[in-house]
Amino acid sequence: MMGRTIFIDPGRCIGCQACVSACRECDSHRGKSLIHLDYPQEGQSVAALPTVCMHCEDPVAPCAEVCPADAILVTADGVVQEADTTRCIGCANCVNACPFGVPKIDVTAKLQFKCNLCYDRTSYGLAPMCATVCPTGALFYGTVEELREERPGVQVVDEFTFGRSTVRTGVAMVVPAERARWPVPGGLPVVEVNGVDVR
Amino acid sequence: MSESNPHTPPVEPGPARRLDRLSVTGRATLAGAVAAVVLILAIVFGSRLLRDFDSALLPYAAASVFLVFGLVHRYTVWVSAPAARRLFKQGWRSFFSAENFRRAPTAVPRMIATYLGFQKFLGARSHGRWAAHQLIFWGCLLAAVITFPLTWGWFTFTSPTGPGPQYEWRMWGVKLLTFDSLSFFGWLLFHGLDIAAVLVIAGASYFLWRRMRDRGAMTGQRFAYDLLPLIALVVISVTGLLLTFSAIFLHGQGYEFLMVLHMISVVFTLIYLPFGKFFHIAQRPAAVGMQLFKYTARQDEKVFACRRCGVTVDTDAYVENLRGTMRDLRLDFDEWAEYCPRCKRVLRGSAYLENVKKGYK
Repeated sequence: MMGRTIFIDPGRCIGCQACVSACRECDSHRGKSLIHLDYPQEGQSVAALPTVCMHCEDPVAPCAEVCPADAILVTADGVVQEADTTRCIGCANCVNACPFGVPKIDVTAKLQFKCNLCYDRTSYGLAPMCATVCPTGALFYGTVEELREERPGVQVVDEFTFGRSTVRTGVAMVVPAERARWPVPGGLPVVEVNGVDVR
Repeated sequence: MSESNPHTPPVEPGPARRLDRLSVTGRATLAGAVAAVVLILAIVFGSRLLRDFDSALLPYAAASVFLVFGLVHRYTVWVSAPAARRLFKQGWRSFFSAENFRRAPTAVPRMIATYLGFQKFLGARSHGRWAAHQLIFWGCLLAAVITFPLTWGWFTFTSPTGPGPQYEWRMWGVKLLTFDSLSFFGWLLFHGLDIAAVLVIAGASYFLWRRMRDRGAMTGQRFAYDLLPLIALVVISVTGLLLTFSAIFLHGQGYEFLMVLHMISVVFTLIYLPFGKFFHIAQRPAAVGMQLFKYTARQDEKVFACRRCGVTVDTDAYVENLRGTMRDLRLDFDEWAEYCPRCKRVLRGSAYLENVKKGYK
């Protein structure tokens, strides 16, 4: 986990879309919102899940590893940057390999877009747009110590399981105290009946 | 801002991995050396055993030999990485497929023209960037077509009548055509590099302006990677134009100094080319293979639908190719590639909701 990073607490998310609008205002990708806001139980509950790039540390950036054009660079501070416009060929390898479903692709422009932790802001010590505007603290930017100052005793996890694999990330998720020792399930394996996902 | 290579393993590599890495380096060095030797032989024989070789252009020729070594070396290392290797093979397989050619004979030339020549995809990113890139692309192409054969001694312009105006254009000693240097065609031929310089200056200046004004472009930009290539293009073009200016308006005053300055900037750029941003010139054509690989599978309507929601993920062959790449890289969640990005997120959200923080309480 990076020193200063985003902490996601889906339990606090009210699905207001403020992060989606603020992301669109980021100078490094003007007009394009790169954060995802999903409703896992649409029609049944108001539960919402904001998804930013998790900046995978181990294995380091699967999106960059599968990129045939070496277009995705990882800066020394652990931030997985969006595709270099000169190199990206728009093949979508990163889109389909990312276990968190983060990168987007513009097929006509042959270009990938993804959250870069608002690098134009965070590299100067400012919080990313999404965390700046989140009214409930579902997206918190800072160190784990700063988070615990605000929310005493809060536990975070930066490991996710996908089947037999575990991915350690730069961005972390808030979990209940009793779940702090285990990785967060990434959604694999899915529950299937007769070849149909029934989750 | 520094960067780390995502392909670098996080732990100390074992003996087998070290050997593998050595063999890639060895293969790349060998391939680069062979290409450099081939170019040297082509220069020697193409210039009729150096009879047509202009020794004043030796630094340019030497830099082009290094350029070929560097390009082939880096290209070999690049296509040795799992993702590039698989796509490289699939691209060439689609390119040489007789069946693909029978079904869509115009696909390859169309893709080369629209993708590599007119770069339509850049227009979708920004009209200004497309126009500027087209100026640089055609300017550099024109300059390369003129410069390389001249420095290698392949082209000669000689006048059988002494001072002219009749000139003979020869390639490898074979006469291509005779022209009047005072005609419009002759002017175009002798000022080709000046025309190229004007195109490049216009395009590179736009990109330099954008790199100083556009906050998106400025985010994470690096001097050596993003700005240096543009500065090099401008310096080459301006010093090249000044040579013409000196010859026409200053009676050759300052010509020798400008010549050295121009030569240094060109040699530096040629040596830098394989290592920086300019490497995309060699990399980009591989994308045509990728387009072709997807295009041929789409013709058969062999698309892969998300296992959960049914939305198209990509073509069957492409998903299988990606899963193979992920297995090569020991990314053991390759079955996840069969789900669309949204379903991956929703399934993760559901798992969090059910197993981590039940009901988000």
